[in-house]
Amino acid sequence: MSDVVLKGLRKSFGALEVIKGVDLHVASGEFCVFVGPSGCGKSTLLRMISGLEEQTSGMIEIGGRDVSRAEPKDRGIAMVFQSYALYPHLTVRENIGFGLSLARRPKAEIAEKVAEVARVLQLEDYLDRKPKALSGGQRQRVAIGRSIIRDPQVFLFDEPLSNLDAALRAQMRIELTELHARLGTTMIYVTHDQVEAMTMADKIVVLNGGRIEQVGAPMDLYDNPATPFVAGFIGSPKMNLYEGETARALGAGSVYGIRPEHVTLSESGGLWTGTVRHVERLGADSIIHIEATGLGPLVARVEGHRAFAPGQIVHASPIDGREVRY
Amino acid sequence: MQRRSPYPYWFLLPAGTIFAVFFLVPTVASFYFSLTYWDPFEARFAGFENYQQFFSEPFLARGVMNTLIFAVLTSGLKTVLGLLLAVLLTSGLLGQSLLRSVVFFPVLVSTIGVGLLFQELMHPTEGAINVALEAVGIDGPGWLTNPSLALVSVALVDVWRGVGLATLIYIAGLATISPDYYEAARIDGATRWQQFWRVTVPLVRPATTTVIILSLIGGLRLFDLIWAMTRGGPGFASDVLASVIYKQYQAGFWGLSTAGNVILFLLIALLIVPLALHLNRREADL
Repeated sequence: MSDVVLKGLRKSFGALEVIKGVDLHVASGEFCVFVGPSGCGKSTLLRMISGLEEQTSGMIEIGGRDVSRAEPKDRGIAMVFQSYALYPHLTVRENIGFGLSLARRPKAEIAEKVAEVARVLQLEDYLDRKPKALSGGQRQRVAIGRSIIRDPQVFLFDEPLSNLDAALRAQMRIELTELHARLGTTMIYVTHDQVEAMTMADKIVVLNGGRIEQVGAPMDLYDNPATPFVAGFIGSPKMNLYEGETARALGAGSVYGIRPEHVTLSESGGLWTGTVRHVERLGADSIIHIEATGLGPLVARVEGHRAFAPGQIVHASPIDGREVRY
Repeated sequence: MQRRSPYPYWFLLPAGTIFAVFFLVPTVASFYFSLTYWDPFEARFAGFENYQQFFSEPFLARGVMNTLIFAVLTSGLKTVLGLLLAVLLTSGLLGQSLLRSVVFFPVLVSTIGVGLLFQELMHPTEGAINVALEAVGIDGPGWLTNPSLALVSVALVDVWRGVGLATLIYIAGLATISPDYYEAARIDGATRWQQFWRVTVPLVRPATTTVIILSLIGGLRLFDLIWAMTRGGPGFASDVLASVIYKQYQAGFWGLSTAGNVILFLLIALLIVPLALHLNRREADL
């Protein structure tokens, strides 16, 4: 039992309210990702769960226990920081065992647990090194090791991959997902990267301006975005969104959206006609930027590298049933 | 490979000349003059006689011991108090900036002024310190007149005067420690004391090295404060190397005092260079 429940959580810094009433239930064992643009309050929310930041009002329950006013160490959580926060003067071994040595556990017990964690994270060969002698990915694993050793009910991750290069980030995404599967512990993960959210999460919480926009499984959010913000935020390249008169002409109340991968292109016959402005060829598929008459900019994603060239006139249509209307 | 143009070296000339005239030449010259009997008109070569005489001075051993005690005591106190004050003055205390100025203020006051002021304050019967102690029923000691206390009294005044600089260096050092380290420690359950001892102290070590080295050098060659407060007295109780050297110079033994200066220079170099190497090597581990 390590559910995390947030009830009416609010946080103000002076007159500025940054978290404006958040209610959320993260089920035991779930991998929950908080995602949103910078300044949306996702890190603040995580820090409130950790106890590093005190909420202005509202309640936090971890494992059925009200921890709203508990010290961070008494909440049963462990946290991995964006900077990793590895102590530069300690070896990997000492860094991983730091929490246990603070608690004055017997040396033999610390050594045994450190060895166990090092084995799980494949850090055995690096135990006597200092953090500066490690690569970014290894430092990341040490930071995770320092969390695992505390055997927490809930892991908190604050943008842990943002200091890594793209290739390593992709690898660490897989490692973290596997680790979650192995440990089965509740994990709450903050990121601004919707790719990380989509690929790792059981449940995504989209935040915007201190409020939850939508909570759901990745594919739920992708297929049925509850608000135009979620529609625009989830998915890459971004969904094409149109407002006002254009949206109403397409049968929407205020906003009409269609994802680039749900636009079909042809050389004759289609709902919209436009001129190709720019083509991005990614190999497996291509992103076609079109200036469509009566619509404006339209982005389409097509398989392979079909021969569209800038200046070419194309016809585009939305796939039935994949449009979103608000 | 292209030959390096001599052009940039011309820019070294002005600073180099000043450095040579006011530092290099006098330093080298003092090595020579320490081997002579000299006055403004002539210098007579004397071999190592000055050194022999210096080491046979009856109060020399006392002076060297006092110098070391003074340097270690003031350096230690400045390091410990400087760190504690810096931690206090970065902890979000009310009136923090005002207090920082107050702590730093003595650094700006002339040493002679500080010395004379404390000479008055530490007067055995009329000084404010003993008058205040008397008011609460304590019979204050003769701070500067008691031979076994005089050196320590001057050392305490030197700490008062110099702790502001140590604090300033530590405040700069503390500012470089990322708050993440403290937050990670809090999540791991570190108490305030553990955060200080296991995060702050090791991570602020570059500042500690600077404070130790600067205050040790300052302590080893201290002269002005001792001279203003005790002139090495009572008797020779608070004489340090620098005041011994000055007394020989006053008495007209210029060659002898030059030899003393060379010895002080070598003593400082022998203590500081290995210490600095050691501390910097440990720092490089960070």
